[in-house]
Amino acid sequence: MANIAAKRIKREFKEVMNSEEVAGGYIKLALVNDSWTELQGTIVGPPDTPYEGGTFQLEIKVPETYPFNPPKIRFVTKIWHPNVSSVTGAICLDILKDQWAAALTLRTVLLSIQALLSAAEAGDPQDAVVAKQYRESQQLFLLTARHWTNVYAGGPSAIWEFDQKVQRLLDMGIDEHEARVALSHYDWELERATEQLFS
Amino acid sequence: MAETSEAKPSAPPPGGDAGEDDKRDERMLECNICLDTARDAVVSMCGHLFCWPCLHQWLETRPSRQVCPVCKAAISREKVIPLYGRGNTKQEDPRNKVPPRPAGQRTEPESAGGFPGFGFGEGFHMSFGIGAFPFGVFTSTFNFGDPRPSAAPRGTAQFEEEQFLSKIFLWVAILFVLWLVFA
Repeated sequence: MANIAAKRIKREFKEVMNSEEVAGGYIKLALVNDSWTELQGTIVGPPDTPYEGGTFQLEIKVPETYPFNPPKIRFVTKIWHPNVSSVTGAICLDILKDQWAAALTLRTVLLSIQALLSAAEAGDPQDAVVAKQYRESQQLFLLTARHWTNVYAGGPSAIWEFDQKVQRLLDMGIDEHEARVALSHYDWELERATEQLFS
Repeated sequence: MAETSEAKPSAPPPGGDAGEDDKRDERMLECNICLDTARDAVVSMCGHLFCWPCLHQWLETRPSRQVCPVCKAAISREKVIPLYGRGNTKQEDPRNKVPPRPAGQRTEPESAGGFPGFGFGEGFHMSFGIGAFPFGVFTSTFNFGDPRPSAAPRGTAQFEEEQFLSKIFLWVAILFVLWLVFA
């Protein structure tokens, strides 16, 4: 790994560890290996969002050319959000692409991702299905996002109705996550989800 | 610099020990790219400090999008200012290194006086040269490198002669111009 990248990551790591956000438990950063090329970030769901109370893991890969090119970041924890792929966890955020600036740090990037959870950008979606639901049936979107937060990120509020529907499909021998994805995609209409799963 | 101050673990108490102050001073001089103390420092027009090698690499990485890494203001190689500290003379000349750091621009202060050509002695000749236009061309064309003889002191016979000659040349020139116009 290029010297400047490793050196900078070490400095940033120290900066994050001493930051108020870590002290307050809003973000976390941990090393995955000794070469400083891969880190694990953690953000908590911001208050007054369906992600509140959830803890989301992020995979951070630092390229050789860092900080001249952005770190590669994706959600490891599954999340229902218009700008995050519900399949791969890929994030659509301008500063992780063409709007990257060398003065941004892991701390500011983690905070930006956290801010993205508070303010989705449906005009520039990563997940078209989620974005459509976000635009057309906001209430259903909020419930689905809260349900995913509860199931995958340890969020506090379970949606009983959704759990029941997932259980119904589970009883039919369908994988739990697959069932949840199908139901989420079809606005929790059990018939349509079943149809799609067995087609 | 709001980001930097935010990131500080805790603000030092007023009148804190010198070590804390030193640390803060050092942070003020950190390169915004490598986060180390800036070496071969340059500052952008928007006021952000970088190591020249770091900024150079940033500009090379995105040739189509030359923006300040901090505030995304437009930035270019020509529009950064190198900072020469006092300790700089001890180091090797940064311009010998690759990539070369752009040089500082020095502009001479504007002179307070008016146009120097219309001074006392020399200007006298010059205004005559312009007056007798076609002949002035000859004199300035054929007298390569020769310094012009200085004007004869006022009141001497030579002075009178020169006055007379220049008047003749002036009239010749006027007649020549009139001939050009009417012929």
